[in-house]
Amino acid sequence: MNSLRVPNVPLEVLLVEDSPGDVRLTREAFGEASRSIHLSVAMDGVQAMAFLRKEGEFSNAPRPSLILLDLNLPRMDGREVLACIKKNESLKTIPTVILTTSGDEADILKSYQLQANCYLTKPVQLDAFEALVKSINDFWLTKAKLPHQRPVE
Amino acid sequence: MISQRRESAFTGADEEVSAKLGEIAEDRYRSLLEAAPDAMVVVDQNCEIVLLNVQAEKQFGYRRDELLGQKVTNIIPKGFAERLIADHLRSPGEALAQQIGTGIELVARRKNGSEFPIELMLSPWNGTDGVLITTAIRDISERKIAEASLLEKVRELNRSNEELAQFAYIASHDLQEPLRMVASYTQLLAKRYKGKLDADADEFIAFAVDGANRMQRLILDLLAYSRVATKGRELLKTSSEISLHLALRNLGGAIQESGALVTHDPLPDVLADETQLIQLFQNLIGNAIKYQNPGIPKVHVTATRNGDTKWMFSVNDNGMGIDPQYFERIFGMFQRLHGREDFAGTGIGLAICKKIVERHGGNIQVESILGQGSTFRFALQDSERV
Repeated sequence: MNSLRVPNVPLEVLLVEDSPGDVRLTREAFGEASRSIHLSVAMDGVQAMAFLRKEGEFSNAPRPSLILLDLNLPRMDGREVLACIKKNESLKTIPTVILTTSGDEADILKSYQLQANCYLTKPVQLDAFEALVKSINDFWLTKAKLPHQRPVE
Repeated sequence: MISQRRESAFTGADEEVSAKLGEIAEDRYRSLLEAAPDAMVVVDQNCEIVLLNVQAEKQFGYRRDELLGQKVTNIIPKGFAERLIADHLRSPGEALAQQIGTGIELVARRKNGSEFPIELMLSPWNGTDGVLITTAIRDISERKIAEASLLEKVRELNRSNEELAQFAYIASHDLQEPLRMVASYTQLLAKRYKGKLDADADEFIAFAVDGANRMQRLILDLLAYSRVATKGRELLKTSSEISLHLALRNLGGAIQESGALVTHDPLPDVLADETQLIQLFQNLIGNAIKYQNPGIPKVHVTATRNGDTKWMFSVNDNGMGIDPQYFERIFGMFQRLHGREDFAGTGIGLAICKKIVERHGGNIQVESILGQGSTFRFALQDSERV
């Protein structure tokens, strides 16, 4: 009843990540966790914002149910992306999860000040990373109730 | 020498005797001046030079007759006359009393106009014409240069220490990223392809996984080590007993598993960075439990007064002990006394302990009898008596 999960329609997740190794690893981990997720990737902050605003080549981009955002990115870093998302009336309802290697307290505080929905650090061990992605899937994409995917425009 | 100002008037006869005594004293005084190793200048209350020795001639580059009767400001332009001469608030005696025995650093000027730093020592002298001020003038150019160079070296050392700490932090932090890739993908290879390639491949992958894991631990430990300096907090009044309890809570698993018995005497408040004190106890007690003899590991923590301002802590165990030849080495970075098969770990624990204790102004030592146990000792500042 409350579930947004329609059979055969995968959930959209936007991963903002500049390291191809990490992208693949996240893809693999989501593959282990769930078959019904469609992962789009933006390699930097500028691309991420273009994707979310459906600009240029991204005019047909889907609106993601969840954004996974790395902090250290080329051109426009994760903090700026987060600030832009949370200032935008339409985009700010999309849960944005920081997924980064930095465990720096200043980064954690700054992210929550910018209204990040959750801050996660990438574990160094593969098992732990897979478990983390699984828990993201279990919580944000399964248990949490998210706003309707297509906001009234 | 007479050092007090005379207030009373003299009768004529007294004056004669006094003048005679004065002459004898003056003669002796002159010869003393000449024997002094420093430049000596005697100045009267008008700031005029009334006597000087040969060292003073040499130091300032004047002939004696060029200076006698001249103002002292010719050779010490600033700070001297103002300090010594009576003003409306102070009598000459009072003015002088405030300066006696203290080394005053000023700048002196030679005849050729060049300047050099000096230190003055002053002494009043009641000559026949009133209070005179004997001034010993020492050229401290060399000392100043040495001081400046020492200061510069200290600054350089601090800077390079800071850079080193920063470097270790950045290196270990930034190295983690590519290493995470190596580790994750070798682990992924192991997981997906174990038994699907040949036996050699399985072995090679296993070595790669093991190597990446070990490097990861080394880098994390290096990071932890560098954090002692870069993330250290101010030393505040800290209950070492509470810190010990928090350390024991963190060690809960290891203590339960080994059945270890950890006891302690009442422990004092000390000046410490609490997080680091907890880590110190945790590393020492963790080691005591880890390197054990067959039987129940026993650890006892005590603190005894060490002088007025310090406490000497000791962490004593009944473990396997350490051969005295390794007493120094165990505090080095990544130093291990056992094979990896016997005991896990990179060998950073005691290096971190040493760094923490040193950051708190002390040093850490070990005493041990092989097979019978070890005692680690370190001193911390009392929180009240600093």
